[in-house]
Amino acid sequence: MTALAPARKYVAISRIQVRAALAYPLDAVGRAIAIVLFVVVFLHLWRATYQVTGRTVAGLGLRDVVWYFAIAEVVMLSQPRTAPLLAQAVKDGSIAYQLVRPYRFLLFHLSARVGDTLPVLALTLVAGAGAAWLSVGAPPDWRGVALLPVELPLAWLLNFLMSTSIGLLAFVAEDTTAFEWIYNKLLLVAGGVLVPLDFFPGWLRGTAALLPFASTTYAPAHLFVRPGGPGAIGLLALQLAWIAALGSVTWALYRHGLRRLVVNGG
Amino acid sequence: MNALSGPRFLLALWRTNLLSVMEYRASFLAQVAGMFLNNTAFLAFWAIYFQRFHQVHGWRLDDVVLLFGVVAAGFGGATCLFGNVVRLATVIVEGELDYYLSLPRPALLHALASRMVPSGLGDLLFGFAALAVVGVGSPEEALRFALGAALGATVFVGVLTTVHALSFWTGDSSLLAGTVMQGLILFSTYPLAVFDGWTRFLLFTLLPAAFVGAVPAGLVRSFTWQGLGELTLAAAVAMTVAIVLFRRGLAHYQSGSALQVRL
Repeated sequence: MTALAPARKYVAISRIQVRAALAYPLDAVGRAIAIVLFVVVFLHLWRATYQVTGRTVAGLGLRDVVWYFAIAEVVMLSQPRTAPLLAQAVKDGSIAYQLVRPYRFLLFHLSARVGDTLPVLALTLVAGAGAAWLSVGAPPDWRGVALLPVELPLAWLLNFLMSTSIGLLAFVAEDTTAFEWIYNKLLLVAGGVLVPLDFFPGWLRGTAALLPFASTTYAPAHLFVRPGGPGAIGLLALQLAWIAALGSVTWALYRHGLRRLVVNGG
Repeated sequence: MNALSGPRFLLALWRTNLLSVMEYRASFLAQVAGMFLNNTAFLAFWAIYFQRFHQVHGWRLDDVVLLFGVVAAGFGGATCLFGNVVRLATVIVEGELDYYLSLPRPALLHALASRMVPSGLGDLLFGFAALAVVGVGSPEEALRFALGAALGATVFVGVLTTVHALSFWTGDSSLLAGTVMQGLILFSTYPLAVFDGWTRFLLFTLLPAAFVGAVPAGLVRSFTWQGLGELTLAAAVAMTVAIVLFRRGLAHYQSGSALQVRL
């Protein structure tokens, strides 16, 4: 047995989930169509806006904004949905079976969600990038494309940690649907999906930029269009700091949930 | 069956639906409040946008709030009163139509009105709150808002029913219907003035989002009989196509032979 043996089962879990997602591809197809619709609407809105304002606003041109939006939407549409699964498992008691299986509970969910979302991520990325390219041409900076294999996993991990934390609240609150809704709306607005933070009024931009929502959606999208900008290193560092902080929160919630769990019957 | 039995039947269904969703009071209230907050988040986007850009092709924040309000009220009204319009394809392919066909009531009307989407009430409330925010000039404006939202909702129900009814021929059309619904909501909540060329043409024809949002919203502030006539015509065409297609589709319907018990 090698040192990598324990990792194999998690890879196997991911692989099984990829197969399951590919067996039912309609959800992924639906999200790919959705991202094309979103890009079309935003192209029209921002084209009309730039007709009035001129070539650049806050250092971003039309091509930057459309590509920014496409990448932010890829992050949104491919986010792992751990929260409803955990909440359901707590409600119906199946979490008792999951906890005694020979794997680490959080790592199981991490690998399973990687498998769930990989096909969606690939399809939405192709559809979103295709729509953006046809609308406004090639990506504004190829260094941003090179950064994507780093940025998308970091954003995904932040989404996973947040969604898992929300799901683990089910030990206390039982129904976590409201928290999920609020989180998604915060991503859309405070995360800068609908309007880049660069266009926010100064007082709001400074605050929003420090929050984990911006690290999840604004950072990958902004770094895609402006990878060499002055704040690039800061954005990356903040993402890593939030991953560490949210990782700790997730772990603490998990331990707290285990202490509260009472399993009856056999 | 007298002339009043239809409305009385609908009222009875709606009352039953409301009592049914209110059975789980906390969940019901959470969904209503959640949808209200959801819509507020989108207005936050527009508030930030207009704070920076002030107007886009003549549209200002007030215009977009009114537009959003009309769409929310129409969509909310449609999903509250005819909630199965978002899952009619499933009703068809899973054989649930057996139940409606076996009763002496119009099957389409019965099927559509047999479900209430609780979050629709949040949309409906948000719509009227939006009207209050932009300032209701007169009772006539409020009336025109309600009329516009109702006609927009009719277009919405007609178009969605048509796409769902394709299930009679193509199998489950849920994905297509979901995409059309998303497209209708998305395109109807953005200022019509930003769309041009083919996109604008499509918004008045194949994906008639203009008749769900911009045209009804236009009636509130600058009413014209021509505008009302066009919107009424669009609503009539959308519903006629839906009813004709549904009736023709029934000839292709294969019973699910599903045993259903309704309490």
